[in-house]
Amino acid sequence: MPEPTTTTAPAIAQLDTSLAIEVTGASYVYPSGHVVALDGVDLRVERGEILGIIGQNGSGKTTLTKLFNGLLKPSAGRVIVNGVDTATKTVQQMAPHIGYVFQNPNHQLFARTVQAELEFGPRNIGVPAEEIAERVRNAVEFFGLQDVVDEHPYRVSFPVRKLVGIASIVTMQPSILIFDEPSTGQDHQTTHIINDLMRRLRDEGTTVVCVSHDMPLLADVVERVIVMKETRIIADASPREVFADQTLMARTNLQAPQSTQIALATVVPLGGPVALTPSELASDLERRLTAHVPSTKITK
Amino acid sequence: MSMQMALPIAMIPGNSLIHRITPLPKMIWVVGYIVLAFSTTNIVILYSMALFAFLIAVISGVTRPLLKACVILVPIASSLLALQIIAPAVEKPWTSVGHIGALALYGNGVYYGFVLLGRIVASLIMALVVVMTTHPSDLFTTFAKLKIPYTFNFMLAMTLQLIPVFQREVGIIMSAQKSRGMKGRGFSAVLPSFVPVFVGAIERVQQLSISLESRGFGSAGIKTSYRQVKSRPSDWVVAIVGVVAIATLATMSIMRGTWNLSTVILFPHAFVFWLFVVAASVFAAVILVTVFYMFKR
Repeated sequence: MPEPTTTTAPAIAQLDTSLAIEVTGASYVYPSGHVVALDGVDLRVERGEILGIIGQNGSGKTTLTKLFNGLLKPSAGRVIVNGVDTATKTVQQMAPHIGYVFQNPNHQLFARTVQAELEFGPRNIGVPAEEIAERVRNAVEFFGLQDVVDEHPYRVSFPVRKLVGIASIVTMQPSILIFDEPSTGQDHQTTHIINDLMRRLRDEGTTVVCVSHDMPLLADVVERVIVMKETRIIADASPREVFADQTLMARTNLQAPQSTQIALATVVPLGGPVALTPSELASDLERRLTAHVPSTKITK
Repeated sequence: MSMQMALPIAMIPGNSLIHRITPLPKMIWVVGYIVLAFSTTNIVILYSMALFAFLIAVISGVTRPLLKACVILVPIASSLLALQIIAPAVEKPWTSVGHIGALALYGNGVYYGFVLLGRIVASLIMALVVVMTTHPSDLFTTFAKLKIPYTFNFMLAMTLQLIPVFQREVGIIMSAQKSRGMKGRGFSAVLPSFVPVFVGAIERVQQLSISLESRGFGSAGIKTSYRQVKSRPSDWVVAIVGVVAIATLATMSIMRGTWNLSTVILFPHAFVFWLFVVAASVFAAVILVTVFYMFKR
């Protein structure tokens, strides 16, 4: 186990700017020189926002998020995160600012116990021992990992392993957290925990960026969606506006959540609202049905 | 990514004369080279073999990747020569050619140092040239023709194919751990990076075997290959020339009791002295650089 390093997390207040992430004209060309993964992207993310990034495979979503934490450096343009230009910092130096939850938890888990796994990140960035213990306790409680704390991370089921992977980043308490496909291969309960986590992080002032193909998940939690197509951002709006834009959805080969599709095909032409979640849709339908047949009571 | 460069031993596509030779004659040359290298102590033969193999590399257009791969020879050559000068692998009495402090330098081992090095250099270059100019599928088709069991062939092919997959995996894992603030090098990086790689490798192989069995791998029938290997007369010429040349030299060497020229080729004392200084310095530098990067945090 590596010893705690002397590096301390930079004081966020000192670097505080109004923006969490500011991308100006960023392009990225893979070292082979043949593949342009991003082309002149501009993006501003406010503190405490939950941002969803959608787009087809190969549209540049993951490349963009890798620019945020310095795993990739822009070939042109600038990426400023928490007031720090990522081009001048190593990934390790960016780690206290920005956490990155990889899609496959197997790529990051190695310790002998779940407990040690959760301690690894904060120890690397120089968090004092007592605080690490406190953070780990909180994470174990939030993610419901009490029964597996002393287990080997590879011995627990895949959904739980995913939670361990997320918790291992959450204990670093970065002010920005990136999730790459958090719900892939997850059961309903785990997805629910991830949704709750994103909301709680937002409430605590953390900026959350979520790359996903899971439209219901995004519809449920994010406040703003950017749509990527062929290395560029082609739309940037609220999920309601994005999912209601059928031309945009068709152009990007994306599908709005089913609730939105049903709403668009039924109540929207009648002047009803664009529903994002099943409960929104159900409420609207109930309202309409009870208006026509006052005696009917619909149980959700 | 730099990890991609770690193993420059894949096939380098090309259409040179050497690329067009079928794998069997090339394999004959590699095996022949190894047999001859270990049946002679004649440094003229050994270094001529190395030079010949290098010329073939030049003809094949794989000089640059070959030289990259040959960097591995730097620590081998420097340690081998330095050690042979301070502790010759020949019977005493040894003749001292000078001293560096309390360290006595002997000329007797230099010849054997060059023999050992020559064997490694010649065999390595020839083997690398063959690997770099032969399509893996052709190699396995040839193995199959030689009645080597298909399962064994398949295992070998899968292992080679997994190398780039694991290189990519290592890249992803290093990224994931760096994102958690892990310092990218040194001993502290070993555990966090390699546990996921090994676990991933084992899982992948398990899944692969289940997937293969579920698709009927190992059921009856002779396996065929999409790529066909057809020997042309020129291939036979290459094979026969290889067998004859190598067998002749090997026989001549063995009949002359390994054809040792250590009594004929004598190295001047100053040469031995400076050879030691250079070899020992290079080896020390290699160790220092390695240790430095291991402990750099």
